[in-house]
Amino acid sequence: MMRHTRALADLDQDIRDHIERETRENIERGMSPEDARYAAVRKFGNVTLITEDTRRVWIPLWFDQLRQDAHYAVRMLRRNPGFAATVVLVLALGIGMTTAVFSVVNAVLLRPISYPQSERLVWAATTDPVYHEEIVPRYDFRAWRAQAPSFERMVAYVTADNTIATTDRAIRARVARVSDDFWEIARPRLALGRLPAPGEPNALVLSYRLFEADFQGDSSIVGRAGTFDGGQVTIVGILHKDFHFELVPPPRRDTDAVDVEAYVPLEAAPQDTARSRGRTVSVVAKLKPNVTSEQARQELEIIRARVAQDSPNAYLDKMPLQVVPLRDRWVGQVRLTLWVLLGAVTCVLLMACATVANLLLARASVRRKEIAIRASLGAGLARVLRQFLTESLVLALLGGAIGLIAVRWGLTILVHAVPGAVPRLAETDIDPQVVGFAVMTSVATILVFGLAPAFSIWTTELQEAIRDGTRMASAGAGSFRIRRLLVTAEMAIAVVLLIGGGLMVKSLWRMNAHPPEFRPESILIMKVPLSGPQYLEAQPRHAYTDELLRRVQAIPGVEAAAVMPHYPIRTGLDVKGRRRQPQAGIPIPTTLNATSAAYAKAMGMRVVRGRWLAESEPTPVVVINQSLARREFGDQDPVGMQLSVQAIAPDPRVPFYVPIVGVVSDVKHSRLDTAAEPELYVPYVHVPIGSGIALVVRTPGDPVAIVPTIRKMMADLDPAQPVYDVRTLEDALTDSVAPRRFNAFLLNAFACTALLLAVIGVYGVIAYSVAQRTREIGLRMALGAQRRDVVGTVVRQGMQVAVVGIIAGLAAATGLSRLMVSLLYDVEPADPQTFGFVAAVLAAAALVACAVPAARAARVDPLDALRHE
Amino acid sequence: MSTREDRDRLELLQGTLDLLILRTLRPGPAHGHAIAKIIERGSGDELQVEQGSLYPALHRLIKRRWIAAEEGVSENNRRAKFYRLTAKGRKQLETEIGKWDRLARAIAGILRPASDAEQP
Repeated sequence: MMRHTRALADLDQDIRDHIERETRENIERGMSPEDARYAAVRKFGNVTLITEDTRRVWIPLWFDQLRQDAHYAVRMLRRNPGFAATVVLVLALGIGMTTAVFSVVNAVLLRPISYPQSERLVWAATTDPVYHEEIVPRYDFRAWRAQAPSFERMVAYVTADNTIATTDRAIRARVARVSDDFWEIARPRLALGRLPAPGEPNALVLSYRLFEADFQGDSSIVGRAGTFDGGQVTIVGILHKDFHFELVPPPRRDTDAVDVEAYVPLEAAPQDTARSRGRTVSVVAKLKPNVTSEQARQELEIIRARVAQDSPNAYLDKMPLQVVPLRDRWVGQVRLTLWVLLGAVTCVLLMACATVANLLLARASVRRKEIAIRASLGAGLARVLRQFLTESLVLALLGGAIGLIAVRWGLTILVHAVPGAVPRLAETDIDPQVVGFAVMTSVATILVFGLAPAFSIWTTELQEAIRDGTRMASAGAGSFRIRRLLVTAEMAIAVVLLIGGGLMVKSLWRMNAHPPEFRPESILIMKVPLSGPQYLEAQPRHAYTDELLRRVQAIPGVEAAAVMPHYPIRTGLDVKGRRRQPQAGIPIPTTLNATSAAYAKAMGMRVVRGRWLAESEPTPVVVINQSLARREFGDQDPVGMQLSVQAIAPDPRVPFYVPIVGVVSDVKHSRLDTAAEPELYVPYVHVPIGSGIALVVRTPGDPVAIVPTIRKMMADLDPAQPVYDVRTLEDALTDSVAPRRFNAFLLNAFACTALLLAVIGVYGVIAYSVAQRTREIGLRMALGAQRRDVVGTVVRQGMQVAVVGIIAGLAAATGLSRLMVSLLYDVEPADPQTFGFVAAVLAAAALVACAVPAARAARVDPLDALRHE
Repeated sequence: MSTREDRDRLELLQGTLDLLILRTLRPGPAHGHAIAKIIERGSGDELQVEQGSLYPALHRLIKRRWIAAEEGVSENNRRAKFYRLTAKGRKQLETEIGKWDRLARAIAGILRPASDAEQP
């Protein structure tokens, strides 16, 4: 590079010197100065051409042309900043959103599990048909591990929320109890300390996040002793901060996707030799190389048959077995959602491309004269195309760059706004694949839509364009039609997306439609795990609950204080006198709410029949809710009937009947998006099982104010119990639909973008049309047309395009919204309210888009227009 | 004014012009105008090469490092760009002269055959 600059730098001077010398020679030969110079110049040749040829020795033509094109492109864009800014922003929007969704898809779906040889990891489980859970009895796990040759390693684990306490603090965390093989499968890096040795009991390993957040990164805790749910443990190591628990957590209905933060050994529990439904684990195994899941599954079936012979259990033996790759099991639930999102965002990208094409085509039409002149001066088709392509490339690169910056912000917002909704979302980041994707998209956009203007120009007759300006309007008809079609398509897509988003918003709204007595914003929930050996028996738990309720009720400002279990208790129940279906050997599980007298008041439940629980119930009684009443009794009055409730029976084998004393209205206390579950309410003193409790407190206003008081009270009662999950019922319910809100948020973001693009599209088309027909408008006005008529024409033209698009969109939406049925709540897919609203919004937006060009048309001065070329 | 035809003619002589320039510079460095004059006179004024066409040729030769350019002062104390042969160029010149001689002999062998018999 340097050489050529040096060599070429003096070229002009050298040539001038040369000609100077020749001139002087000619003068010496006797010519007159003018003749001398003239002869010298003639003899030299065409200086411009020579200079050009010399340049070519160093710089190939294409490079020079590219530089020129780029330079020219930048200059053109600088002269039309509004146009350039619009195009760049539209591109940034399209590319940015697509890249953001893609990076999520990349992190969640495409990125493999980070454990070594993760493609050999499989999930093995039997499915419980009644409880719809995938479990493996521990007994079976031991047999599988011992006897199955297909597996290199097999790990059993359970996850639960437990209390970890050291001398100075108690925290609640999601803990995984893992068998030894877990560390062999995961092979984590450590930040501090070591991993537990095989078979080492009571070794606690913490995640880096927990270490930093709850232990302030104090490295002296390694080696320290602590308690884990009351039992002794030693903290042996801290995991590296990039390590995550990536085995599938067992599905829990009521908890959000929280990361596992601590690991303890799964107890050997040698005394537990019974094969039962009670002691179950989840199992992930690593296949030996070249073994398929199917082979493994068949092997396990054989082993199960053996186990069934030795230790039969009618319930367990009937459950179907599956062995699937772990990746598939992990992403199964979200795959559909993510692909739908990717589809939606691709629509938006296409719309962005269409809008950009529109704008480019409009600009190109305006520049036809310039192009025609360039073409006739010797630039070939290739040259002109190349120049257009360069302009488009500059726009695309700018758009892509801005898009990438926006993606970074967008992702930060996404991850912080709804962290639990999508697994592994927190691991999303802009990595080389994502950047590559963004670049590829930009380039693809350009190739498709950068060339369109050039081709559209070329097909018109260039000579005509130079000669006769009036031909412009008609000759552009072809491209105009295409652009109108594009805008119509944009409107249709915007309608579809907006309807989708609108239906989801309406679903969320319907979910929140509570009866007036139910005020979740005034109900506070605080959970206490009551963990530790001193609370294993029912009596100490009840004593704690009694005392806590007494104290909390006494706080001024508390309208009602009650309790419920902190995790739902499920029980089988039978109606006395009713014969059980022979095939259903297992009773249908129902939620049992071990609660207290003030619960109905706290939750705003109405008593529909009979009565609610009294302060003191010497014998066990039960109250059921409307859902349960409907399910078991239909229209019959349930009061007085007897129920056998397994969970409260002193001896589970002997039916224990309690009378139903009342029916109450349904309330939602866990999930917002399902109808209230059938539930029965029993005074907690009569419920022997269960562990922790959730305090339910109702206050007149915002309950947050009394939280510190209650905390202090709980600390006084028993300082070793952490209080967790403190929030209003409203927050809990809202969180329960976090995935839905996430989807709705995204869909609506897309929809609004689509709307914006459609509006820009309409504006672009109409504005261009007005600009082209200025002369015609002037003519008509000179011939007597009123401004009113002109405005009417313009608006009519714009609305024509828009209305066709809206109708097409409504038709498409009618079909497509049926696909969304599973995502909707209490809303018809063809909900007329939503459809009508969206149509109105789009029509109004289109009207606004036409307004500016229409106003401009009205302001046309007929004399000016006719004079203007 | 040079037209496209002139440029075509130049193309044919491109390699030859390069050779002539190299030979011209063998005795010692010279500036562009001098080179043009030497070629003109040396060919007995037969070769009327467009003087300007020297410059692309000179730059080609510079690019291939067969000649080098440097600032200098001409005989009447005026600024001039002098070109001189490099060692590589010297070697190249010998090669090219050899090739040219062989080519000339070969063509002459056909144009003026040893026997007097006319070829139809």
